[in-house]
Formats: sequence, structure tokens, C-alpha cells
Amino acid sequence: MDMVFLAQEAAEVAQSNLGNGLVFGLATLGPGIGLGILIGKAIESMARQPEAAGMVRTTMFIGIGVVEVLALLGFVLAFII
Amino acid sequence: MITLLAAAEDASGAALLVPAMPELIWGFVAFALLLLGMVKFVFPRANQVLDDRSAAIQGKMEEADAKLVEAEEARRNFDAQIADARGEGNAIIEEAKQTAESLRRDIVAKAEAEAAAIVERAQADINAERDRALQELRQQVGAMSVELAARIVERELDPSTHQTLVDDYIQRLSSQN
Amino acid sequence: MTPFLAVDVQYGGNFDGALDDINALFQMPPIFEFGIGGLDLSINRTILIIWLATAAAFLLFRAAFSDARIVPGKLQSACEMVIDFVRNIALDIIGPKGVKFVPLLTTFFVFIFAMNLMKITPGIMLPPTSRMAVTGFLALTAWVVYVSVGIKTHGFLGYIKEVSIPPGTPKAILPILAVIEFVSNLILRPFALAIRLFANMVAGHILVVITLVTVHVFLYPRPGLPVGILALGISPLVFGFELFIIGLQAYIFTLLTAVYISSSLESH
Repeated sequence: MDMVFLAQEAAEVAQSNLGNGLVFGLATLGPGIGLGILIGKAIESMARQPEAAGMVRTTMFIGIGVVEVLALLGFVLAFII
Repeated sequence: MITLLAAAEDASGAALLVPAMPELIWGFVAFALLLLGMVKFVFPRANQVLDDRSAAIQGKMEEADAKLVEAEEARRNFDAQIADARGEGNAIIEEAKQTAESLRRDIVAKAEAEAAAIVERAQADINAERDRALQELRQQVGAMSVELAARIVERELDPSTHQTLVDDYIQRLSSQN
Repeated sequence: MTPFLAVDVQYGGNFDGALDDINALFQMPPIFEFGIGGLDLSINRTILIIWLATAAAFLLFRAAFSDARIVPGKLQSACEMVIDFVRNIALDIIGPKGVKFVPLLTTFFVFIFAMNLMKITPGIMLPPTSRMAVTGFLALTAWVVYVSVGIKTHGFLGYIKEVSIPPGTPKAILPILAVIEFVSNLILRPFALAIRLFANMVAGHILVVITLVTVHVFLYPRPGLPVGILALGISPLVFGFELFIIGLQAYIFTLLTAVYISSSLESH
């Protein structure tokens, strides 16, 4: 088995599982942007008010938990489809 | 054939999402046992240790506070003692000053008295000397006058009678004065 | 080890059949089958790992506090740090009432962390939390706790009202919003809790397995050797990343449970 064969295999897999890949890929888009904004804003506010960093961090993790689930739903959906 | 992410043809992917009953039951049993073990064995001890620790810290802090109060008390005592000692020293110095003053006054008075006594004695001496000199002078004057008179009168008078005469005369003189 | 890895994969050779079906990774045939009155209680690999991890976690804590001292040793301070960490979560999120939930939340944290840690424990390499059943009962437990706390605080109807009607809602959209809120608070929440942990662990497990299988297959004097070296190089990173995810997911599960309990306790 060499690299060329592997690449062919991968292409085949990609074709036959295009739907799954697309589901997960698209599902990550929104949460990815959301997480970026969320964490960025959290860091911003932590830098602005370091004394409130603990509270901001906790709230950030709650937010991450809520946003992350959307991407993970896409991941699970990729299994189901 | 490699199927990495999911088996599209195979619907068993969804089977992953269906909880397996035995795992659910045994897992729950394990979790419940862990919870029970934590509540029964770990947390009482942990809380006790935390309480003990906070009590120990509290005790230490109270001890430190008490020591601080004690030290403060001791410091105040020392301060008071120092103040006392200072006052006492001042009093002693004052007393010494007073003693010295009175001593000085005594000495001065004594010296003055002595000086006065000496002066007085000297006065007395002088007086006595003067009296004596006067007496002597008087005697000599008497003798001389007798001698003079004898020479003048050319008569030998009895010196003792003359002496009486002169004395009378002088007495008269002095009483006249 | 398991049939889907060592048997099929030839060292330095054939990827064929190695991961024919990714679901094979998560198929747990029963090792020892039995049941009570139709209830299937078969023991499989996951259950053994659950027991092992639970016992290890419990024995660790037991050992830490069996000889608890005011000035703690290393193990005791580590375990106290865990308890203190969870206590801080509870106090931050729930407030003073959170103290009585500390044992439960600590058990959640320790249990999930121990289960997740099995993902990168050599010789085991399978997180029981990648099984829907495990995350399912964890989420179910959290759900039962926060719903019962809510019902205890507000009464049954009061709690239903509390979860379905957000304050200051205009009357016009109230019916539709009430349904959405109700579903989101009582149905989606535990589902999301379970799915979050489950999907993270499944993804992590697949990542670890693929990395290790790639190393296993490609680290061999063949044209594919660079791939093997690359995979070997990034495998510590993968393990480190997974360790981070393990802690993060245990933390998030505990945190969100605390948040849900807190939202059941307060009234608006």
C-alpha cells in the first residue's frame, strides 16, 4: 500500500461520504464563528476588567457549552445520516 | 475499504446514539455507589478536616490576637513603669535639690551665724582688750599723775591713797560724761 | 486487545480492514451474559472500565481522606483542590445554597473526569463516556436533580410556570415562547448535556485511535514512512489536547449542572 493508493482510497471515501462530511463541516461553521466571537469578547472584557475575570471566565464556559453543542449535534448527525 | 467518519451504507451509525441498557444500569449503579461513597466516607472527613483546619487557623489567630493584647498590656505596663521610674527619678532629683538647697541654706546660715559669732567674739575681745587697755591706761595714768603730783607737790603721797583718789576722780569723770 | 485493532492491522502493512467500519470502535460485545427477569445485565468492556475507573477514583479519595490531617500531604492536597474547585463552582454559580450540592457536583466531576481519563490511559484507551448510556444516565441524574430542586422550590405548577414563562414576555408571543422555553429547559438541556460529553469523547476517541493506528501502520521503512513519523510526532500533541478536553468537559458538565440547579432555585 503506498501513498497513491491511499489518496485514491481517500478520494473514494470522500465521495461516498460526502454528505456526512458536509453535514459536519457546515454544522461547525456557525458555532466556529460564534465561539470565536464569544471567546474574543470574553478576553476583551477580561482585559478591560481583570478584577471580573473569574466571573467572565465562568460565563464564557457556560456560553461555550451552549454553543459547542450545536457543532456536536452536527457531529452526531453525521453519524446518523 | 476505509470508512473513517461514518458508514453511510450502514445504518448502525445511529446505533451509537441508542443507550445500551446494561451499560446504563451498571453505570448508574457505579455512579450511585461513588456518590454514596463520597457522601459517606470522603465528605464527612473532608469537611471535618476543613473545619478542623479553619478551627486551628481561627485558634491560632485568636491566640495571636490574645498575644497581641498581652503584648500591648505588657508594653503599657512597661510604659507606665518607665513613666513611674522617670517620675520617681524626678522626685528624687527634686528631693535632692531641695535637700541640697536646705543644706546650702543651713550651711550658709550656720556660716553666717558662725561669722556673726566670730565677729561678736572679736567684738567682745576688742571690747575686753579695750577695757583692759583702758584699765591699764587708767592705772598708768593714775600712777603717772601720782608721780607727777608728787613731783609737783614734792610730797610723797601714799600710792594706794592716791590710787583711790585718782579712781574716784576718774569715776566722777566718767559718770559726768 | 480489541479485535478491531490488533488482529486486522498488519504492522507496517495493510490498512485494509483496520477501520472498516468506525462503528466497530464502539461495538461492545458482552463478555459475560446474564440478566434478571428479562433485564439484560450483561457485562461488557465498558462496564468493566466504568467499575475500574470508579473504584480507582473512590479509592484515591478514600486514601486521601482516610488519614486526613490538618496539614495535608500531597494526595490530600490534590483531592482537596478538586473538592475546593467544585465548591468554588457551586458557590459562584448557586450561591450559599450551593454548599449542599457540593458532594453531588464533586461526584459528577470526579466520575466524569475518571471516565474521560480512560481515553488516554495506556492499556485501556476507551472512555466509557463515549457511550451514550453513560452520558445518558449522567444527564438524566442531573435532570432529575435540577427538576426535583425546582419542584421543591416552586411547587409543581410553579416550576412549570417558572421554566416556560420568561419574565417580561409580551402577551402576543407568549404561547409560542412558552412552548420553546419549556422544551428548551426540560428536554433540550439534558439532551445537550449528554450529547456534548458523548460527542466530545467519541470524537476524541476516534482521533486518538486514528493517530495511533496511523503510527502503527506507517512507521515502517516504506514510502509511507514520513506519514508515520508525522503521526508519531503529533501523537503527544493529540494526547495533550485530549487531556485538555477531558478536564474541560468534566468542568463544563459540572458547571452547567450547577447553572441548571441555580436556575431552578431562583425565581423571577
